[in-house]
Amino acid sequence: MTRRSETLRGKSGRKFNRRDFLKMSGAGLAGAAVLGATGCGGGGGGSGELIFSMGPDDAQGTMATLIKRFNDQNKGFKVTHRVMPADTGQYFDKLRTEFQAQSSDIDVIGGDVIWPAQLAANGWIADLTDKFPKSEQGKFLEAPLASVTYQGKVYGVPWYTDAGMLYHRKDLLEKSGFSEPPKTWAELKEMANKVVQDQGVKYGFVFQGDQYEGGVCNGLEYIWTHGGDVLDPNDPNKVIIDSPEAAAGLATEASMISSGAAPQAVSTYQESQTDPAFMNGTSVFARNWPYMYALAGTSDYPKVKPDQVGMGPLPVDDGNELASCLGGWDMLINANSDMQDEAWEFIKFMTAPEQMKFRAVKATVLPTRTALLSDPDIKKLPPVAQGSPAIRHTHARPVSPYYSDMSLEMQDQFNASLKGDVSPEKAVKTLQSNLERIIQQGS
Amino acid sequence: MTSSDRESVSRVKSEEKKRRGGWFRQEFGNPERRMAYYMVLPALIIIVAIAFFPIAYSVLLSVTDSTITGFGSFVGLENYIEMFKNPDFLDGLKNTLIFTVASVTLEFIIGLGIALAINRAFRGRGLVRAAVLVPWAFPTVISAVMWRLMFQDQIGIIDEAAKAIGLISNPILSSNTLMLIGATLVDVWKTTPFMALLLLAGLQTIPGEVYEAARVDGANVTQRFFRITLPLLKSTILVAVLFRTLDAYRVYDLFWVMSGQQLESLSTFVFKSVRISQLLFPQGNAAAVFIFVTAFLIALIFIKVFGMQTGTEE
Repeated sequence: MTRRSETLRGKSGRKFNRRDFLKMSGAGLAGAAVLGATGCGGGGGGSGELIFSMGPDDAQGTMATLIKRFNDQNKGFKVTHRVMPADTGQYFDKLRTEFQAQSSDIDVIGGDVIWPAQLAANGWIADLTDKFPKSEQGKFLEAPLASVTYQGKVYGVPWYTDAGMLYHRKDLLEKSGFSEPPKTWAELKEMANKVVQDQGVKYGFVFQGDQYEGGVCNGLEYIWTHGGDVLDPNDPNKVIIDSPEAAAGLATEASMISSGAAPQAVSTYQESQTDPAFMNGTSVFARNWPYMYALAGTSDYPKVKPDQVGMGPLPVDDGNELASCLGGWDMLINANSDMQDEAWEFIKFMTAPEQMKFRAVKATVLPTRTALLSDPDIKKLPPVAQGSPAIRHTHARPVSPYYSDMSLEMQDQFNASLKGDVSPEKAVKTLQSNLERIIQQGS
Repeated sequence: MTSSDRESVSRVKSEEKKRRGGWFRQEFGNPERRMAYYMVLPALIIIVAIAFFPIAYSVLLSVTDSTITGFGSFVGLENYIEMFKNPDFLDGLKNTLIFTVASVTLEFIIGLGIALAINRAFRGRGLVRAAVLVPWAFPTVISAVMWRLMFQDQIGIIDEAAKAIGLISNPILSSNTLMLIGATLVDVWKTTPFMALLLLAGLQTIPGEVYEAARVDGANVTQRFFRITLPLLKSTILVAVLFRTLDAYRVYDLFWVMSGQQLESLSTFVFKSVRISQLLFPQGNAAAVFIFVTAFLIALIFIKVFGMQTGTEE
């Protein structure tokens, strides 16, 4: 190798040799290290800064507004929103990593309703039973409150709620001579097929059948509306999914495809495929969360106008009670946080009626306080006006420290049964033994 | 061997005799050598800490009933036995094996064809070579998302076209078999160029004289290919196929993203067990060790059975 090839010629014509180059990169590394060190110095609790972890803010920025309002009250500490992944699975994974490291970095956690049992069982979140008395608990909706209760203790405050709802196209139903949305699943299939035939709409009914958490919600809704359940309500260690009712529920879900009411691809649909299918006018019915209503008539979906969209509770199997899957978020406190009282102060603020109402009116985020559902300003919001029966009949997914594992099993079997790969009877049998094994392993 | 070579050999031998008295003293007796070891020591420690410790720790975790929250007690091979009873793991193993064999075979055949085609001198050869590489330049996640959209039922062009000509009756994404075929084809689309380029580099090391001599001796195209090209290309082929095999064997992102987490591979099983589940953690570790050991075995087979050369010396 010639000497020349080892040198770099700078713009000025000065030669850099290898030693100069190493010196320069060494200096660069040192500089980066210094920057890194100062970068870390900013974080950490106990310094008058309260870290609140939650997914991204809504499009209306209500979370940021409320946090700013709280900070303006000058309570002696400042709340900072640490933005976590929007995907609940990724968020949970990240949180779990922090907790395993016994981190006290995050103080208040905005957590999915399926998390409290899992977090509490590991001792990661603080028991709030003393701060959150029974008299106060009674003001909240039952199902969201149940989601923060684990082994008789309360670990959080319900923040906002979600419920699966049935969307329908008012204009299409009217044209085919239907004045009301379906009350039973059989009616739904019948109406969907008739409207599709009459008016050449592409799909009758879309929902979330993919193998993921939302698929569990959908599957459970069919099971509940047929009178089945996963765990015994009186004994959370007893699995009762292997019942004729649960099998009938999954059979009804699969019949949505086999009867032609739903497209085959619904077994791959999540919310992001449901939105365009319904909001572009390609489907008569859709099962989705309340947020979808706000999409009608926006620049993304100009075809379907808000007044064409009706919503209400999900159909049931004849003679059974209404049931919707409970979604939504709770506010929890990191057990390792050294700002327990400040954290509670912030939670009290965020879950006060005034703040809940602000978010409900501005961003259609549904409140968890029962009284607010009858508040005149909130009552007229379409998801509440038309969907309040659904909000009042929500069921929580199984409350268990091993819910993640149960969910994986249910995702698998519900999706397979929907696709027709296994029979509904076989699916509930498999689930019965697999869920029993999980409970046994966990205890 | 020249006389000076012989001299140096005998000198080395006599020095060896002098220093006999233990490997340790031989290595550390000389201050200069000792210094050299001291200088290398930090690097050695870092390598052990970074490369070997995590592997050893995974192996350790895989023989205990640890959870994400605490180190467990020794349970022997129970996790491995449970793992082989787990239908998800078996599904992942089956998919991974089919995917690896099918994709690497197709990539090799098509890649060799492309390499032979662009090995000739023709106008615009540089441009063609660059163009061939485009699919490979995409990050896997991006191409997985891109193809998922094309396979999708509402807007997917491939799904639509396949349905129109009667190739499929169900949407592609709702059938695991179709998705596995799809994933294999996407991988072929994506990494054939890489294979082609590696093989092309090998082809260019074959001297033209050999072909000339063969032609003079009356060898036809087929004979030249099987008697000259393939044997001389063997070492390149082995390296290229080994690279691709190990890569395909660890497939994760393509399956996870393209199938929307429905298609199981060995790596997705590890991820699901270790990061999502709370109870499958030890099984996930066992599966990770399983992947590591089997990948190692695959490499070993290439080296020992097919006679792959690992060094540059003859």
